[in-house]
Amino acid sequence: MQQETTPPNVARPLVRIVGVHKYFRRGSERIDVLNGLHLEVGEGEFFGLMGPSGSGKTTLLNLIAGLDRPSTGEVWVGTQCISRMSESQLARWRTRHVGFVFQFYHLLPVLSAYENVELPLLLLPLSARQRRQQVELALELVGLKDRMWHRPGQLSGGQQQRVGIARAIVTDPELIVADEPTGDLDAASAEEILDLLEELCSGLNKTIILVTHDPRAASRAHRVQRLEKGVLVDGRIEPASRH
Amino acid sequence: MFKFALLALKNIRRNPILSLLTSAGTVILVLVVTLVWSVLAFLDQATREKQQNLKAIVTERWQIPSQMPFSYAATLCEGAAREPDHVRPQDAMTWSFYGGTMDLRNRTLNNTVFAFALEPEKLLTMMDELDSLPPGERAAFAPAVERLKENRQGIILGRERLTLLDKRVGERIRLYGINYRGIDLELEIVGVFPPGRYDKSAAIHRDYLLSELLDKWPREHGGQPHPMAERCLNLVWLRVPDTAAFAQVAQQIETAPYYTNPSVKCETASSGIATFLDAYRDLLWGVRYLLVPAALASLALVMANAISISVRQRQMEIAVMKVLGFRPRQILLLVLGESLILGTLAGLASAAATWYGVNRLAGGIPFPIAFFPKFFIADDALLWGPAVGAGAALAGSFVPAWTAARVKVTDVFSRVA
Repeated sequence: MQQETTPPNVARPLVRIVGVHKYFRRGSERIDVLNGLHLEVGEGEFFGLMGPSGSGKTTLLNLIAGLDRPSTGEVWVGTQCISRMSESQLARWRTRHVGFVFQFYHLLPVLSAYENVELPLLLLPLSARQRRQQVELALELVGLKDRMWHRPGQLSGGQQQRVGIARAIVTDPELIVADEPTGDLDAASAEEILDLLEELCSGLNKTIILVTHDPRAASRAHRVQRLEKGVLVDGRIEPASRH
Repeated sequence: MFKFALLALKNIRRNPILSLLTSAGTVILVLVVTLVWSVLAFLDQATREKQQNLKAIVTERWQIPSQMPFSYAATLCEGAAREPDHVRPQDAMTWSFYGGTMDLRNRTLNNTVFAFALEPEKLLTMMDELDSLPPGERAAFAPAVERLKENRQGIILGRERLTLLDKRVGERIRLYGINYRGIDLELEIVGVFPPGRYDKSAAIHRDYLLSELLDKWPREHGGQPHPMAERCLNLVWLRVPDTAAFAQVAQQIETAPYYTNPSVKCETASSGIATFLDAYRDLLWGVRYLLVPAALASLALVMANAISISVRQRQMEIAVMKVLGFRPRQILLLVLGESLILGTLAGLASAAATWYGVNRLAGGIPFPIAFFPKFFIADDALLWGPAVGAGAALAGSFVPAWTAARVKVTDVFSRVA
């Protein structure tokens, strides 16, 4: 099951998936996506999740990020069972506890890099000064402080993704979920983004869950699992493919 | 809050053409509503009953236009008071309408004059708006009234009428009678009305018309009276202190034995105008209850359409905002805020432009009914113009905003995947 690198705090899981089933209905037909899943991701762990299209990776990620609820079973993050929260509670929880990195960055085109990063902070009771400090810190961490007034259209794909990462970490969440964060980038930019995620994990002790098709990206994870037909299986990555 | 408003403003800027078209639609519809409401509000105000210092109108009971014999004038001006305890009006004014043209063969609106024949001094005491002129304007107008008193062949013209006739104060004009066939008047222009309500009007000395009609005509026609001789009193205005006095005077007049053929009626100026407007009842009803609601509904639909397009285009962004922690209520308020800003600004721009264009540039809307030659846009329009824009925007954008708030993140992302 486990790859060769041992996760730093595996004894203290941050994410616990307990007997999760998820199915959707299409008319009278029931489509099972996740089948009795159990998973633990430790605090400060860089966890990779691979699998073919339609295997349920994004569904699992959505459950962990509090964007969806399981049909049965429980999802715990830290000490909170998020699968029991209402939509409104989940929204509040997401602001503080999880950062999301998208494949296509999904920055708001009408806002500057600074304003995009500031967006989640508008939901928190912070003064303008506090917000500015946090935004500048996040942009500094991703190396884009000098571009903070640029609009997304004025930034390269790699830079946009770094702004996306700054937006994900600006509220200082303990968990960062990244759905194919390098899927839309060239190799060099992808490496930069993976370096950045690794730094966040090792330097800031963020727990990172990375969904990817790319074995090179997965090789950066401490541990990788594959999801096939809604069931987790071993996800060993060949050492040769590692960075 | 400020940041949310800023975000809404930036969202409006994202699709300038859509925002511009929506604003243009709002501007046009608010313009229609502003114009229509201004006229309706003006008429409402004119037909609203005053409680004190009100004017009563005496007219022929069964005919429009009212045409009474001039012999009624003296007693009507006394409120038909015939007993010691009867109430007398505080002031009174008679109106005889004289229409004349400067060119009988080639009659046009430009060479035609419609004049009130009255006692000159009543211009400053009984004529609407002239009786309450600010001191400066009153002082400027009073000499013209004095000249008309002294020169019974004088005429006071409105500024527009003077321009249309291409004449100046001091010049003479000859008017050929239109409603008083054969009664032609030689007149000297002795002054102009203050700018405003009477821009297209004219006033002549009552005595001149009456002497031409009642004295000169029979003298020159073998004693035969002019056909209008017994029909030359159109209206009598009475000023009474309050509604109780009005009721008493009306009762005195309507029960007096002097006015049998034709019989007369006495009503307040507002109800007199309301009676006159009765002829336009269906039109005004349609304007009030069909045109205005239709304009408002169209405005709401324009907004609904624009905001729906905008929401559809931004489904992914809305989903991302939800991922970041924005709650449905906040998304709803954000979308409503966008349309609110758009509607309010467009409504304000429209109302301000209409107000300035109509009141300052055009000098009123020419819509001559019920003795109102022009209508003006009420200053209130600067408040309710934006309010109409905002209200319609809110109504129109509620469904799209609700749809945006209900966007299901997983559905949006699954479509992308």
